[in-house]
Order: sequence, then structure tokens, then C-alpha cells
Amino acid sequence: MNDRIKARRGKAGATKTKKSYGRVNFRTVKALLRKGREERRSQFKAGQFDLAGFILKLLLVAAIVALFVVFFGQFTGMYVSVKTAGRPDVMSRATELLTILYTAVILGMVIGGVGQLGRELFAADDMKIFSAMPINARTLFVARLISIYRGQLLIALVTVLTVNATFAWKVGVTAAFWVMTVGICFILPLITIGIAAVIVPVFQVIKRFLRERFVLTFILLTALLGAGFWLYSLILGGVKALLLGDSIRYFFNEAVLNTIGKVCAALYPARWFANIMTGSEFLWSWVGLVLTAAVSIVLSLLIIKNILERALQARNQSSSVSILKTTKLTKRGNRFTALLKKEFLMIFRTPSYMFSYFSVAFIMPLMVYFCMDVSASLVENLVGLDCRLELALFLTILFGALTNIFCATNISRDGEMFYTVKAMPLSFKTVFFSKIILCLIVTAISQAASAVILAATGALGGWDSLFIAVAGMLFSFVNIAVATRYDFNHAKFSTEDDGEIKESSGTVSTIIVMGMVLSFAVGGLVFVLRVLSQLRQFEYGGLTYIIVSALAAVAVGLAAFYLLFRLKRKYYEFSGGGI
Amino acid sequence: MQNDGENTQRETPAAENPAEENPGRKEVVSVKGLYKRYSKKADWAVTNVNFSCYEGEILGLLGHNGAGKSTTLKCLEGMLPFERGQITIDGHDIQKEAEAAKQSMGFVTDNHATFVKMTGMQYINFMADVYEVPTEVRAERLAELEEIFRLGKPIENLISSYSHGMRQKICMMGSLIHHPKLWILDEPMTGLDPRTMKAVQDCMHKYVAEGNSIIFSSHALDTVAKLCDRIVLIRKGEQVDGLNVKEIYAANPKFDLEEYFLRNERQD
Repeated sequence: MNDRIKARRGKAGATKTKKSYGRVNFRTVKALLRKGREERRSQFKAGQFDLAGFILKLLLVAAIVALFVVFFGQFTGMYVSVKTAGRPDVMSRATELLTILYTAVILGMVIGGVGQLGRELFAADDMKIFSAMPINARTLFVARLISIYRGQLLIALVTVLTVNATFAWKVGVTAAFWVMTVGICFILPLITIGIAAVIVPVFQVIKRFLRERFVLTFILLTALLGAGFWLYSLILGGVKALLLGDSIRYFFNEAVLNTIGKVCAALYPARWFANIMTGSEFLWSWVGLVLTAAVSIVLSLLIIKNILERALQARNQSSSVSILKTTKLTKRGNRFTALLKKEFLMIFRTPSYMFSYFSVAFIMPLMVYFCMDVSASLVENLVGLDCRLELALFLTILFGALTNIFCATNISRDGEMFYTVKAMPLSFKTVFFSKIILCLIVTAISQAASAVILAATGALGGWDSLFIAVAGMLFSFVNIAVATRYDFNHAKFSTEDDGEIKESSGTVSTIIVMGMVLSFAVGGLVFVLRVLSQLRQFEYGGLTYIIVSALAAVAVGLAAFYLLFRLKRKYYEFSGGGI
Repeated sequence: MQNDGENTQRETPAAENPAEENPGRKEVVSVKGLYKRYSKKADWAVTNVNFSCYEGEILGLLGHNGAGKSTTLKCLEGMLPFERGQITIDGHDIQKEAEAAKQSMGFVTDNHATFVKMTGMQYINFMADVYEVPTEVRAERLAELEEIFRLGKPIENLISSYSHGMRQKICMMGSLIHHPKLWILDEPMTGLDPRTMKAVQDCMHKYVAEGNSIIFSSHALDTVAKLCDRIVLIRKGEQVDGLNVKEIYAANPKFDLEEYFLRNERQD
């Protein structure tokens, strides 16, 4: 080899070695970020992109934001005008309100951050590839950190801007308020990533412990969801007391306001953010925030780097000590049962699926009961009408629809195995019905439990409870059938190693909207008619039973038709899924 | 048959029309005029592929990456629909009598897709139920398969914890639990350790000796040469040639399959 070439190669090689294992290679960082960007963009490619689903997803987010703006706007107006010692203290109330909201934002971002860190550091499929490439841990670390920061910044911008814009709408603000808003949006992720980085190792230890303890995972997740909903019902109960009580001024008396003030004074770092926005203790709050952010950056750098290095090493080592019970060869079973069992295992052994379906279905009866408890007396007091049956119907259909959103992944979550099953001697009916029957079993148990609770607590009579259970099951069938077929028509298989769907698709958004529309249409219609009968003084009788039965029959018929229409042909011709 | 292999045919006189030849045995697989494309706008992935596979025979599908081997096999397995042509498995049309055709075969896909949340044993039970394997033969079959693949204790573990090779083994075990007449394998040797590779090759020989048939695709030419009775060569979705490997080797022991394959590739 030519000496000059040798020398050049040697020099280049030396530089490369130094760069690869020492410093951060920003060119590689840029390339890694571009790779992530292109991967995200690829989902918008023609042929793979579900435009209708995407628009619905956007509309759904817009609806949630609009709902928040309206309610929070109203509440802000009321809260800042609450008087103590005969006069309002707008500054204190505003600071308290913003402190509470920023705490919620920080909590949300930390939870999201833990998930994002876990995904980027432990679950990312490309880690295995990178570990074999001349990309050093530091370079990968910086690229991952920028990506995580960018994600958190996006959440901060959306949430903080929404909160602050609503706040500004009700309380006059200066231009400085908006400048500070942008400033805190950029600082907030630095702090939340730091907190998330501290939690991530603990979370991973718990996750590893629960790896094959599926029943324990189910109990924990369900208990967590139940506790969350119980807390929510307490708040709802408080709102009910507020609405049924004398006035908001009575609820927010001096003692309550003092307690809120004391709690908010200790809610750091959210308090500093609120102080900056309202202009109180401005300088000290900035000092506090900058120091916290600095500590957080150092913490996250140390912890994430450590995690990343370990994750890179651990990626190529598989731990396969199983704690599962030994399975024996079974006696001959039928194809349908085998598929049903497979479907159950696939959901029960994937924590995210288990949570979004089994835990939600398990908690659903409590959700119906709590909401019924709060809303029935509220409506009775406000409208002067006992319309428990109509309310129960609305709640049962609504929560049933929310539970069955999961069915919008009935096909997609099979991933490439959908093709493997297609090559087995199974009819399309066996394949589809096994999925639908499992969902129907889950929904039947859930709806029946709701009805039993409603009857046992005296919220409804025995026959009405039975009617609610049957109607709930029928409308759930509608949700399940439509969701399954819609997912089949728009199937998008995951490219993850384990085939798990990690992000909700446009299909899911579409099914959420459909479920909501259905529950509001049916539940809302009978509720409005019931109120109208009182106002217009006409004989209502058993109109609810007739209307709901008729609507259920029509909806079931239409859903069954939608599910089965050219299903056989579509199944055998299926070559979608994006793989 | 396409005309691309004209020169080659001159050198391999034993392969007059080997892709469709009838060695006087029962035809297990028949592929006639197969055309497949993934969308109406896309180019044909497979054009006019014709071949048969007879009982007691190992047929290899050869071709470069993206030639159309896997697509052909997926059409054969009933995974993918196709635009034109006819495929029959053990006398059953894959489109008209799909279930009967599929009952006669076992298959292993190139990506070894399997239900990762099941344990190996649960997967075997699942496959045995789907293919309606009688209770009394299950244990014996499993023991036979365990003897070949030696998965061992990890059969009790979740498949998600398996290595690539272990996944391949469990897929092969699942595909053979009902002792199908036809065994279809897409790139079967990739990722297997030498011992298992040898065991799989022995298993394939033993399997066809019992009167069953095997169709497999591979890039490993030495494996193809060692195992196959006949091969079908596919290039850019078109079937370009068919060789009766056994006869060719009998007539010319120095025949170089690799050179033949590369010469075909160079014609692009």
C-alpha cells in the first residue's frame, strides 16, 4: 500500500478512534436526530397515513383543550374574585391557582418523562444496532437527551400555553407575562427530565420485578386505576357540594383558603413558576428555578449516562430465568378455544394492554357507580327530576365505549402474526369471532357487575338494572364490532421487536369519537326526552325502554352488517398492515 | 419456462424441463402461472411461476434477495392473495379450499413470527389444537421434535425471552407437530447453530423418506446442493430455470451450483 495512503488512513483512523470513544461526535448526533425525524415523518407517507383518523385525533385533542379552557376559564374568574376579609386578593389567588396547575403540569410531564426515558433508553429497538456501531455512549446519550428534551418541550409548550392563555383571558396580563411564558416553557423540561431521571431506575427495577408476575401486575395496575378514580370521584363529590351548597364564597371560606395558601407555598418548583408569572418574588423565584434546573441537569446527565451505558451492555445479554408455572401438554382442544386462549394471553401478558383493557373493564362498574352517585342527586336538585335510569344508561354506554376503545387494536396488535394465523387452517369466522367473543366476555362481566352494583346500592331497581346490563352489552357489541372491522380496514402492524403497539393510532381516535357520539346520542336523547316530558307535561311512561331497545336493535344490526360485509373476501385478500 | 437460462441448459442437459417434470410420483404441490403484485400500481413481484413438488421430494427455491422467493412461498401458504394462477396443495386449491389445503402443510416463515407472550409449551399446545392433533400422539410427537431441536428447559419460558435461533426452533417444532404432508420453510438455516443445522437437515431427509415433501428457500447454495432433489431458480420475480440437482450431480459430479447461480445473476 502506498505510504501516503497508509499515513492518511492512520491519521483518519486515529482521529476516528479518538472521536468514537472519547468526545461527543456532533455530526453523528445530527445524523441520529435526522433518523428519528425521518422515522416520524414516514408515518405520514401516502398509503400508510390514515388522514381521517389523524383529523379525528386532532379534533379530539382540540375538544379536550376547549373543554379545559371553558371550565378552567370559568373557575379562574370565580376563584380570583373570592373575597377574604371583605375584599378580593387577586394576586394571591392567581398565584395559588397557577401553582396548583403548574404542579399538575409538572406531574404529567414527569410521568410522561419516565415513560419517554424508559422507551428511549431501554425499549428502543435501534439500541441493539447502535451498540454494534462506532457510536460512543456519549454521542448516543446527547442525541437521546436532545430527543427527550424536544419531546418534553413540546408538551410544555402545549400545556403551559393553554393554561396561561386561559389564565390571561380571565385575569389581565402584561406583555412580560408572555415573555415569561416562553421562558418557563424552556426551563420546565430541564427540571422534569431531572425528576424523571431519578425515578426511572426505580421504575425499571419495579418493572423487572413484575416482568412475569402478571397477576400481581394486574392487581397493582387495577388498584392504581381504582385509587385514581376514587380520588376523581372525591373531587366530583366536592364539585357537587359546591354546586348544591350556598355559594362558592361559602366553600372557599377563610380556613379553606388558608390551607390552600399553605399547601401552595410548599409546592416547589411550581410555586416559583407561578411567582414569576404573577410577578411576586420575581428575582428569588428565578434564582430558585435556575439553581433547581442546574441541579436537575447535572442529575439527569449523571443518571441517564449511567443508565444508557448499562442499557447498551444489557441489550446484548438476555436473561431468561422464568418464574412462570410449568405448562404441560394439553388434551386435544378445539381451534376456537385455542385462539380465545391465545388472545387472552396476548392481552394479559402485555402490561399496557392489560391496563387499557382488563383493568379499565374491572374498574368500570365503580366508575359507573361513582358518577351515578354524584350526578343523580345533582340532576335531581338542579332539574327537579328523577332520571336515574336515563343517567345510568348514558354512563353505562359511555364507560362501555371507553372500555372497548381497546378493540380498535384487535387486528393491529397481532402484528405479523396475523399473516401466520392466516396461513393456518382457520376460517375467517374463527379468527374474527375469537377476538370478538373475548371482548364480549369481558364486556358482559363488566356490564353485569355494573348492574349488580347499581341494584345492590339501591341506585336502580332490579329490572331497571337488568335492562341497563342488556342495553350496555348490546351497545358494547356495537363498539366492539365496529372497532374490530375498522381496525381490520386500517390495520397498521407494529414494527417493534415484540409487536407491541406503543402509540395510539388514528383508528383509536376514530373509535373514541364514535363511542362518545353513540353514548351521547342514545343517553342524551332519552335524557332530553325525559326532561322535556316534565317541562311539556306529557305522558312519558316507558318511552326510555322503547327508544333504547329500538336504537339498540338498529345499532346491533348495522354494526353486524358493517363487521361482516365482504369480510370473507377481504380476509383472504388481506395484504395490509404496512409490513 | 423463460428463455434466460438458455446457455445454462446447454451445460445441464439433464434439466430439460425439470420444474414441471413428473417423476411418476404423486403431485403434492402444483403451482401454475402464478402472478402476484402488492398493489395495482406496483410492479409484479412474481410473474408466471410454474412448478410442482412430488411426494418424497425436497424442492428448493433459489434466487437473490428480493427475487420473489418469499412472496411465492407466502402465496403457497395462503398468507397472500395472488392475481393470476392456480396453486393446489395435496389436491386442494389454496383459494377455493383454503382450510383443507392449509391442514396439509406446516410452515416456517422467514421472520419466525410467533406469539411471544406464550411459553414455548403453550405455543406447541396452541399449534396442536389448531391442527387438531389427537391427544394420544402429542407427547410422542413432542418427544421426537425435542430429540431433533433440543430446545430443553427454555420450552417453559416466554418466547419473548428466546434468542433468534430458539425462536426458529420453536417455530419449526410448532410447524411439525401435526406431521404435515408438506413442510414449507423460508430461509430455514439462518440463525441455527451447526448442530441444529445438521439435525434439521437429517430431519428433512428422514421426513421426505416417509413420503412427505419439503419446499424451502435458501441462499445457502451448499445446503441447497446437499438437500434438494430439484431446484427452481427465480430472478426478479420470474422463474428462469429449473434443475434436477440429483440427476445433474449424477451426470456431472463436478457441477458447480454456485457458478451456475452467479452466471444467472450476471444476466441482469
